[in-house]
Amino acid sequence: MAAALKQPVAPNFGDIDRSVLRVMEAAGRAYWIWVGFCFTLVAIAGAMWARQIYSGLGVTGLRQPVMWAVYITNFVFWVGIAHSGTLISAILFLFRTKWRTAVYRAAETMTIFAVATAGLFPLIHLGRVWFFYWLLPYPNERYLQPDFRSPLVWDAFAVGTYLTTSTLFWTMGLLPDIANAREAASGWRKKFYTALAMGWQGTDRQWRHYSMAYLLLAGLATPLVISVHSVVSWDFAMAQLPGWHSTIFAPYFVAGAIFSGVAMVLTLLIPMRKWLGIEDLLTPWHFDNLAKVVLLTSLVVSYAYVTEAFMTWYAGDPIEQMTFHMRYFGAWGWMYWVMVLCNCLIPLLLFSPRIRVNLTALWIITIFVNIGMWFERFVIIAGSLTVNFEPSQWAGYHPSITEIAITIGSFAWFLGLFSLFTKFLPIVSMTELKEGIIWLRKALQREVAKAA
Amino acid sequence: MSTVTVIGSFTDDELCAHAIEALRDASIMDFSTFSPIPSHRIEHALGRSRSPVRWIALAGGILGVLAGLAITIGTTYEWRLNAGGRPLLSWPPFIVITFEMMILLGGIFSFFGVLFLAGLPALEANRGYRARFSADRFGLVVRCDDGQSARVESMLKEAGAEEVLCDAA
Repeated sequence: MAAALKQPVAPNFGDIDRSVLRVMEAAGRAYWIWVGFCFTLVAIAGAMWARQIYSGLGVTGLRQPVMWAVYITNFVFWVGIAHSGTLISAILFLFRTKWRTAVYRAAETMTIFAVATAGLFPLIHLGRVWFFYWLLPYPNERYLQPDFRSPLVWDAFAVGTYLTTSTLFWTMGLLPDIANAREAASGWRKKFYTALAMGWQGTDRQWRHYSMAYLLLAGLATPLVISVHSVVSWDFAMAQLPGWHSTIFAPYFVAGAIFSGVAMVLTLLIPMRKWLGIEDLLTPWHFDNLAKVVLLTSLVVSYAYVTEAFMTWYAGDPIEQMTFHMRYFGAWGWMYWVMVLCNCLIPLLLFSPRIRVNLTALWIITIFVNIGMWFERFVIIAGSLTVNFEPSQWAGYHPSITEIAITIGSFAWFLGLFSLFTKFLPIVSMTELKEGIIWLRKALQREVAKAA
Repeated sequence: MSTVTVIGSFTDDELCAHAIEALRDASIMDFSTFSPIPSHRIEHALGRSRSPVRWIALAGGILGVLAGLAITIGTTYEWRLNAGGRPLLSWPPFIVITFEMMILLGGIFSFFGVLFLAGLPALEANRGYRARFSADRFGLVVRCDDGQSARVESMLKEAGAEEVLCDAA
């Protein structure tokens, strides 16, 4: 046993570099066709948005009283997707979770592109998008300032901070890996990585400050991620509308965000692992752990659905009870039950350890979760607006082709950006995997010392 | 007497740390390391104090709190919105803005604090850097007089260096 330890534990540093850097080699034709397809859909969505700006919001299905529908649902959905990246990269970093190292870069990248997608929707939703800067506090010649009592202003601050801080955190983690890619690259890529690495060489001086700041950024990102979806939930909970006005919204939305986000990580990682040939880096062990997070958050979300119903019944407010009656059994009741099926019942399959490591089954389950969580937001946002205080105000809503095209475009925009990332930057953190090897080697040495 | 750079390349951070300890015992202090990963073992051997970047982050956080309060209180006084005679300053919403500003400036200061303290972006390579030090080797670069170089070389070899190069400059 002691003799075996003289040999380096497999895999060694070189194996990791080879596996990760191979992914970044020149892409094939199928890859460019896929990226081209994604950005074609983005272009169609862009044209529809241009038409909407020119003609006004009348081209959407938004009519009184349902003025918040698909666009705001997409906003909340994409902000929610972003949350798992920060959970995996920052919160699990603080807990020193070992399995996060192989998946955190992909999850964190997803965070950035998801927030970048979400951030577009408040702008798309604006009737006069050229006045978006009214949300920002700047010295104004009319002495007209944003009202800080409005949750929409909190939202601008929270989402802006989230995008900035997670981008800095991500950039920081990328530096040593880009330096590594720089040494292996040639041609224009060499110049590209040399510029991006900013002269990083891994000196003791650089690492000393880096390690401290990485810990600090993780410490700052942890409360931030919880605050962001709480603030998003307050966009609704601060209003008086039945179905929105609730004290449980902040934890309920945060749990839902992590639930949908981790499901989206799995939806992306399972095909990516196969297409990019990184089966040796992302093992069933990683998927098993991610699936457990999905299962846990699914149970939290189910609990929130039950609590919400109980609170409405126990409070005895007839108007709120009517809203919930319509939510469960009204014209859109089927959406609620689709959501219960996708978010509460199907994830229960993950109690089975065999299903957690069956990647095909896991992938299908996570697709259902994505659908269910989109419906959850739609049911809460648009569903509550259709049933107001006075039955005379009740009205339906149908999304127009503009809203549908822009929604599809947002998925294409997200997937296109993510696909570009996989070929140009290291999708798995080489630095952290190498740290994992050192940790493994030391643990083995301790075992041997104990046995001797 | 001219200065020489001795570069030792190690396969493991443990061995590199041993070499650092040997150098320090011999009162040779002018050296630096290159490593592909942050190593606690090397950091411990170097015996440096904790990075001051945490003070920069703290300054950013405090500045963020002050900025958040200044924006919210300042704009409320500039545009007085009387809502049913309630107090002008609404603290709960102001805390949300102040909190976000604290995180924002704390994060920005930590990031740029690292760049500043670590001397990035660096346009010139550090002396003795090799491409493998970003991939799979730990480098120890010692600057000494050429009279001492033979001794340093043998110390690095003894500590387990895979390869020792001497670079006269």
